[in-house]
Amino acid sequence: MRNLPLALAMIGTTALTMPAFADGHLQIVDEPLDLSIHMHWPRSQGYDESYAVERVAREMTGIHLREATFGRNTSDSAEAMNLLIASGDMPDIVGGHLIKQPVNEYGPQGAFQPLNELVAEHAPNIQAFWDSHPGLQQAISAYDGNYYYIPYLPDGKYGRAYFIRQDWLDILGLQQPQTVDELHTVLTAFLNDDPNGNGLQDEVPAFFRNWEEVIRLVTFWDARSSGSDTYHDFYVNDEGTVVHPYAQEAYRDGLTMVAQWYEEGIIDPEVFTRRSTAREYLLGENLGGFTHDWFASTSGYNAALEDKIEGFNFVPFLPPESAGGVRMEEHRRIPIKPDGWAISHSNEHAIETIKYFDFFFSEEGRLLSNFGVEGETWNMIDGEPVFTDEVLNSSEPINSQMYAAGAQIQRGYWQDYRYEWQWTAQAARDGIELYDQHDLLVEQFLGVAFTEDEQVIYDRYWPSIRTYMLERQQAWVLGSGDLQADWDSYVETLDNMGYQEVIEVLNSAYARQYG
Amino acid sequence: MSADPNVTGPKTEEIVLGAAEATRRRRGSRMVRLGDHMKREWQLYVMLIPTILWLLVFLYKPMYGLQIAFKDYSLFRGVAASPWIGFDHFETLFSNDQFLRALKNTIIISFYGLVFGFPMPILLALMFNEILKQTFKKTAQTIVYLPHFISSVIIAGIVITAFSPSAGIVNTVMGWLGFDPVYFLTKPEWFRPIFIGTGIWQEAGFQSIVYLAAIAGVSPTLYESAVVDGASRWQMMWKITVPSILPTIIIMLIIRIGNILEVSFEMIILLYQPATYETADVVNTFIYRQGLQGGQYDFAAAAGLFNAVVAFTLVMTANTISKRYSRTSLW
Repeated sequence: MRNLPLALAMIGTTALTMPAFADGHLQIVDEPLDLSIHMHWPRSQGYDESYAVERVAREMTGIHLREATFGRNTSDSAEAMNLLIASGDMPDIVGGHLIKQPVNEYGPQGAFQPLNELVAEHAPNIQAFWDSHPGLQQAISAYDGNYYYIPYLPDGKYGRAYFIRQDWLDILGLQQPQTVDELHTVLTAFLNDDPNGNGLQDEVPAFFRNWEEVIRLVTFWDARSSGSDTYHDFYVNDEGTVVHPYAQEAYRDGLTMVAQWYEEGIIDPEVFTRRSTAREYLLGENLGGFTHDWFASTSGYNAALEDKIEGFNFVPFLPPESAGGVRMEEHRRIPIKPDGWAISHSNEHAIETIKYFDFFFSEEGRLLSNFGVEGETWNMIDGEPVFTDEVLNSSEPINSQMYAAGAQIQRGYWQDYRYEWQWTAQAARDGIELYDQHDLLVEQFLGVAFTEDEQVIYDRYWPSIRTYMLERQQAWVLGSGDLQADWDSYVETLDNMGYQEVIEVLNSAYARQYG
Repeated sequence: MSADPNVTGPKTEEIVLGAAEATRRRRGSRMVRLGDHMKREWQLYVMLIPTILWLLVFLYKPMYGLQIAFKDYSLFRGVAASPWIGFDHFETLFSNDQFLRALKNTIIISFYGLVFGFPMPILLALMFNEILKQTFKKTAQTIVYLPHFISSVIIAGIVITAFSPSAGIVNTVMGWLGFDPVYFLTKPEWFRPIFIGTGIWQEAGFQSIVYLAAIAGVSPTLYESAVVDGASRWQMMWKITVPSILPTIIIMLIIRIGNILEVSFEMIILLYQPATYETADVVNTFIYRQGLQGGQYDFAAAAGLFNAVVAFTLVMTANTISKRYSRTSLW
């Protein structure tokens, strides 16, 4: 204690002359510690030890990650993970893309260390995140009640939005549709009244890059198409029961209307085979009028097609009111990704490792993992992290620049939406603000973890039921079969195929996990 | 032949003993001969080693893993430590209507593929052989080989575009002839013709190379004597070329039959829709949806093992039949 003033003085001067982290308050180990890491993710099949973020994280914490990724010759992360587990030789940290399923399957068998106690005792920042985001810790838990990985946690609520050609509306003297009936009127006018003015009836009023988005239209008749950001997923109904949207009566009536729209030709007749090129082609050729797609990328077409199509203006608008009077945006960003990192059973430094994971949830670590190194790719301006002009004006996309620096990679970290907002087009920002003024989003079903017995039942019945559902669904939309007449036998077939058994295991798992 | 063996020939037991001795010597000399051969031609055997190693490492060692078809397999526990569960996976497989449908589709697609696809490369090879102008022959060959080198993803893209109801060439031509456009790729009844046609277009040219090589091996003296006898080109093709390459054709047929359950699965994934599962879903796509997407390797192994057993039986049958009736066989 005698030297306290001296120590304070020293801290004070270093804080003035050195970077903020040099005071060592984030230091985890006294002696430098090496931890090996498997990090397989889509952009890079490995962990680059020369990342700027790694360099700084090492200086701040004393922990040095050593690249030990398995399966670098495949781009399929799930396959790489399987190879790693089957090899039996696991590095200290196992991270990257799509690790939730393997971690939750093999964690209870002893391949990974449970994190509950480690986090509660040694990771105050992660614990604080769980406390302020109820339900998320449960969502990543395995069936034994433990959780085995720290996830990548995306930020930002909105993913997709409804877009319409405002310039076409203006040409035809129409208003943005506020109800599903008005939407029908507008799309019919797009089909018949030649808004692109070329004298041909070649407009494709409603088009989608993913045919599943056609099914999403059932939300205009108060049905559901999915409970999460994955298509055809289960959802939790008003009674708190997990059910499948395609076994509900609302879906029958909604899909009947969708089939009718398809028959009328206001939905792209080729929607099932056009796939990813639909948006590029139909907007570029001045043919498409309405879609449901991602805010940022879809807004980008206004700038891209400015010179090619006079007056081109494709704007996000509020979801029209459903037949039951509800505005709903069923799609939203999932708050938890199946990506992140876990501690393997062979790691002898579990406490240091969880502290290192926790570092990325601290203020400094979060900025580092989102924006890269301060002073290199960004600066703090009025309390906000702002990318340098060099980064913002580079010909390389900002996310690629971040990946190169080791930021925004699929470690377990909490994304900061300010990262994306800085380079989101104005049209998209306006749209997001518009959507934000209304209560459009619905609760997401974040999935359940099955016991081995439950998993057996789910695996036995569900894939076939799903196949059958999708077969019937497309057939009905394409007009083979009368949905209303077929419905009873459809439901009966689902039951015969084991639908009730699947629902039963889902709900028992759901009650155990979230109850 | 003498009437009295006691006078002119050896006694019966001497004949038997002599034969046994000869066999013994022959066996021994065969071993010696193999040893000599190895010493003399050791370079050939050295060159054989990589192939044998490849077979051992990639085909024989994995057979050890086939047991997971009868186990509740966990990647982490490993093959040996996973518990046995008997025929559970096979029961699940055969109690599934969609598997039976997929099996039926596989057989139908393969059968039509065989009927229409197998003769095509042979016909192409015969036709190429009749072309006298070298530049034309080379150009034609390059054009028919080309689709083989294009990735399936691109081929599927071309097919989808060609059969598109609004812009596709097929529907455009049908429009000129006064037909209504058809959305082919969502019609179950059209899937098989499109798929098989695509397969023929993609592979027939490349497969014809084997037959061209066989034709090149036919002795020119046969043709020369046929010309002397005044045979027409047509007669030479049917009486000389085809019989000469018949063994090749039969071997290729046997191999093809062995692969009858191996329908080009990536192409189906790229072309099918839930709407066409009815005719398009094959065993491999079924396994893919059912097993691999959910990481059920044990289940997928069971289906794979079933595939292998069927294929093995078919090859054996085809080989035996061929051996009996044509004296040509794989082994």
